[in-house]
Amino acid sequence: MAGALTERDFVGKLERAGFSEIEVLERTPMGIADCELYPLFTEELLATMRRLIAPERLERIAVCAVIRATRS
Amino acid sequence: MTRDLLHQDEIRALVREAYRAVDGESRAVAERLYSPEELALVPASAVGRALGVGNHLRHARIRPGDTVLDLGCGAGIDTILAAHRTGPSGRVLALDFLPEMLGRTAAAAQEAGLDNVETLEGEMEAIPLPEASVDCVLSNGVINLSPRKARALAECARVLRPGGELCVADVTVEDEELPPEVLTHPAAWAG
Repeated sequence: MAGALTERDFVGKLERAGFSEIEVLERTPMGIADCELYPLFTEELLATMRRLIAPERLERIAVCAVIRATRS
Repeated sequence: MTRDLLHQDEIRALVREAYRAVDGESRAVAERLYSPEELALVPASAVGRALGVGNHLRHARIRPGDTVLDLGCGAGIDTILAAHRTGPSGRVLALDFLPEMLGRTAAAAQEAGLDNVETLEGEMEAIPLPEASVDCVLSNGVINLSPRKARALAECARVLRPGGELCVADVTVEDEELPPEVLTHPAAWAG
């Protein structure tokens, strides 16, 4: 998730790439418990996240957005 | 500032190595994202290696006969589900930068009895397809891995026919940045 964009930046890049009718259809929070499901998150990274991210934010570290867009 | 701490080549190498090395079971990811009915269509080998972040297929308007590109196919779960929806008159082009992932997707398609799946090795920033050659581009948890996201999205637009659709599930962040120690952790570029 280090390379994740904000939703606004993602939509902006889609517009500049030539897409229109851009719809954000789902937004699902991803918390630390969701990250733990993925083998890509190492124990060390998970521990770093638990240590440095505010407890109230650990339930919503990122958001999974489902976006649909039409090629103009 | 934190997003510029690594060079493109470093990011690409980190992501490639992390995905090549991934070896854990991730069936719980699939069970979180897909319905039992969807998972029943997919071989266990692909279900057990799911690494997507959402279920964009619920919103993808795939029609029988369509040509679909699955950008970053991984072990093939979305490719398999899309191939069921295009039917035998359509096809799914499964693109990944790792031959290991393409092998898993091809094996899953064979196990599922699908002969409308083709695998393609390549980078999302240089998709090895002609312009206006696909009806739908799917991507699940992949765009965030690119060090050149504008280029990757421009490539999606190039290969889509006019009126074609991109349907993507991806990780986004809110305006407040994560701590620099997290953003610069090598595993955070793949996870």
